[in-house]
Amino acid sequence: MIDAIIASALTLSVPLVLAALGGAIHRRAGVVNIGLEAHMLTGALFGAVVSGATGNWALGALAGLFAGAVTGGLMSLLITRLKGNEIIVGLGFNIVVFGVIGYVLRAGFGVSGTLQIEGLERLPRLDIPGVADVPVLGALISGKDPLFWLCIVLVPVLAWLLKNSRWGVRLRATGASETASSSLGLRTLDIRDGAGIIAGALAALGGVALSLGTVGLFNENMTAGRGYVALAAFYFGRSRPLPTALACVLFGFFDALQIRLQTVGGFSADIISTLPYIAVVVVLALTGIREYSRSARKLS
Amino acid sequence: MTSAPTQSAPVEPDPTPAGDPPLQRILIATGRVARHAGLPVVIALLVGAVVLLATGNDPIAVYGRLATEAFGTPSRINATLAATTPILFTAIAAAFAYRAGVFTVGVEGSFVLGGLTAAVIGANMGGFPPVVAVILPLLGATLAGGLVAAVPAVLRAVWSVDEVVTTLMFNFIVAGLAGWAVQSFFQERGQANSATAYVAENAELPALAPPGQTSWALIIGLLLLIGYAVWMRRSTLGFEFRAVGSAPRFSTAQGLRVRTVLLTALLGAGLIGGLGGGSHALGIVHRYSEGFSASFGFTGIAIALLARFNPIGILVGAILFGALNAAGATVQLFINLPVQLIDILEGTVMIFAVAVFAFPRLSKRWAARSERRRP
Repeated sequence: MIDAIIASALTLSVPLVLAALGGAIHRRAGVVNIGLEAHMLTGALFGAVVSGATGNWALGALAGLFAGAVTGGLMSLLITRLKGNEIIVGLGFNIVVFGVIGYVLRAGFGVSGTLQIEGLERLPRLDIPGVADVPVLGALISGKDPLFWLCIVLVPVLAWLLKNSRWGVRLRATGASETASSSLGLRTLDIRDGAGIIAGALAALGGVALSLGTVGLFNENMTAGRGYVALAAFYFGRSRPLPTALACVLFGFFDALQIRLQTVGGFSADIISTLPYIAVVVVLALTGIREYSRSARKLS
Repeated sequence: MTSAPTQSAPVEPDPTPAGDPPLQRILIATGRVARHAGLPVVIALLVGAVVLLATGNDPIAVYGRLATEAFGTPSRINATLAATTPILFTAIAAAFAYRAGVFTVGVEGSFVLGGLTAAVIGANMGGFPPVVAVILPLLGATLAGGLVAAVPAVLRAVWSVDEVVTTLMFNFIVAGLAGWAVQSFFQERGQANSATAYVAENAELPALAPPGQTSWALIIGLLLLIGYAVWMRRSTLGFEFRAVGSAPRFSTAQGLRVRTVLLTALLGAGLIGGLGGGSHALGIVHRYSEGFSASFGFTGIAIALLARFNPIGILVGAILFGALNAAGATVQLFINLPVQLIDILEGTVMIFAVAVFAFPRLSKRWAARSERRRP
């Protein structure tokens, strides 16, 4: 029972971690990415279609990644070059992408909502011999797909890059003060576009994890608000990679618990689904109150 | 110490001409709205045309069909006005808050909880006299809408917690709570999807032209729109709204009631959204069911931005989006066209309503012309 919950919580948190890390990078560059949902859905579709066409999961994942980079870049251009408000552009972008994908599914593929693809190759599961049968540890690290291991690698690498690399420092400077950074000669708009492309690509990989991970098909509602949960996660983790990823695992655990309790009965799935959002409001409130009283103390 | 907004409203409101006779003012405002809204709408139609062409449809024929489906016959106009009603409310709610520079995206949540509250109260209004049976559910809906906005409002006004994310999160919290409440307490037996019982007949807002769906809810919305226009222009707090919205730090320095403005803006948007949800429940669907709001809160944001918070612009925008929704619902019965086309158009309008197009020469010419017109 505990093994099953751990395994399913980790599986469910992989798409969240990828999308939330993308959102966190974009946030560090100073943009709140509301469009994660759209990038995830794009990645899920392209991953499924290309994996089906080539019979190769890696090509599918790459196609999803590139599609997400394109939508991420496009959305970023609207924000940086046309000065569109990031929240409105993000909300509008979600509506447009869901519309386009829903339209193409019906008009192009002739299906209503769910696309089942012949010859689609799902993500392989990597069983680790010797560990697979060990309780807890087996559930923790065995039988995971490559994207899970990508998350494990990405978290420390991104944390290091943000802290130490030239790219990371410039990115954070842009996010901290755009005017100061551009007066120092940084190309802040380019930096933001780069962050937007990365955010789109990572979120799209999260989508790939959905369509090629557990189910092996595409559905237009398969993201089911995960882009917004990822948003909640990087707010919860204050846009730092490790806390953000841990928040995702926590939310993935809620999700696993909810599925588990649904089969057992008694608890409402709807209530559990609100927990990530409540957590974010509480965290925002606490940080806001703390910062406010700190600045008030400074003044007096 | 009073807080200054952390995130300003996404577009600047238009300077409101004063002193001219009302009719002339309305004409000027209409012209302005057409100028601001024209480009986003044209871009959206172009994007839609590309999608249509790519799937082998003739855009002009499809758009023509949409127009006749929206305005072709009196009954279609009635359907358009019925679809206009909910988004008129949400647009007023968004504009109300944005005027003060408060950037709420939580009207959706207020609309949903308002609708649920009105449906639940309305279902128990069996023996009540007709007017009371309508007013009580609407009152409950309005309060419920305000309740949704209360936490973000207090956080924003007192501790300067950014309202964008808190209001966005409350949409999801409300969606979950509403689903849970319906399933656990208000589910009508024998309903396949989770829905409440129908409201009592005397709690329904009557239809204006009976077979059609347009109801008294539209009249309430129009009255609210007039109230919004007069309040912004004539009341002291309305003036402070505009001042805080356009120059927050200056307003603080001038001793304007910035905190009251922020609190009123967020709560007011919630109250209006709740009333909208209640009117939608009593006037059109007569109950609360899953999918009660087809993202009306977000459509309202698009309309408010497109109109630059101008009342006439809000009305025109609401009718435009209402026409799209009404036509989109029926056009797929006649031609093989996925209804998602409407989403593509709406989302594109929303995006380009906030985009700034740098056409220096054009805008200079416009500025010069309006200079000449108003010395």
